[in-house]
Amino acid sequence: MNGSRYPQILRIACFLALAALALMVWSLLDPRPIPVVVAMSVGQVLGTLSLGAFLVVVIADLRRRMEPVIATASAGDSIEDPIKKER
Amino acid sequence: MTTHPSILACVALVSAAIAATILVVYLVRRPSLGGATKLWLLLGLGVFPILTAGSGNIVGFEATKERSFCASCHVMTVHTADSDDPTSVTLSSRHARNKLFGAEDCYTCHADYGMYGTILTKWGGLKHVYNYYLRGYHSMTIEEAKKSIRINHPYPNENCMQCHSTKNLLWASKPDHKAILSDVRDGKISCASGGCHGFAHPSWLTPDGRAL
Repeated sequence: MNGSRYPQILRIACFLALAALALMVWSLLDPRPIPVVVAMSVGQVLGTLSLGAFLVVVIADLRRRMEPVIATASAGDSIEDPIKKER
Repeated sequence: MTTHPSILACVALVSAAIAATILVVYLVRRPSLGGATKLWLLLGLGVFPILTAGSGNIVGFEATKERSFCASCHVMTVHTADSDDPTSVTLSSRHARNKLFGAEDCYTCHADYGMYGTILTKWGGLKHVYNYYLRGYHSMTIEEAKKSIRINHPYPNENCMQCHSTKNLLWASKPDHKAILSDVRDGKISCASGGCHGFAHPSWLTPDGRAL
């Protein structure tokens, strides 16, 4: 995933979470069948999607930050042992 | 409909407010994705919304047990109004005056018994919502509803037997109970039939007292 897209994905996640919270609060303030059913279905799906998007960004960001470290470590392993080379 | 404030409802509302504040601040300030931002977003997108959803679900499930919730659908108002009527002598009204049933008398009597009772009852409730909004009950008059809406399955005696176990000596000493004990326990004769304790709700009766 391109790192420049992280802020955009997080903004979408925030809007999804705000929509989910609004639906949940609606069901609390107006506990009739439709608000309750919508909050427990649509609200929870939106909330789960927003959390999922956040976790995807965090994991992708972590992997992106770890890539140079892993690459350096791999390069270190492949350097020929100078003592062996002398023999 | 009256909203019953409870500690859980307050927890849900406060959590939602905190989460919304965190998210709005993030959207306005647009900070870089550092460790602190991730932590704040974890609170705003994870911890507080989960707290809102968890406590909100419990409050929602409790709300669905209220008689006023059942009365949200106008076709049920005949039954709920009867339960509210202190002078009514129907089974539902007499039970509603019992503190153990109270404002949750619809749910207490109609909830399925057994391990999966709550889940099956909620599933049945979803069918009611489907029927109301998508199968024409919404546009039905009360008079039409009286004639066409019926309970989905015959009312099970097991639900009565949650309280009236049929094992009480006083209950068993009644000659009528003695004579039909096995039929009552097997559900072959309904406790809420015309010849026994009468129909539970008034709308099933014609003005001369016959079942519709």
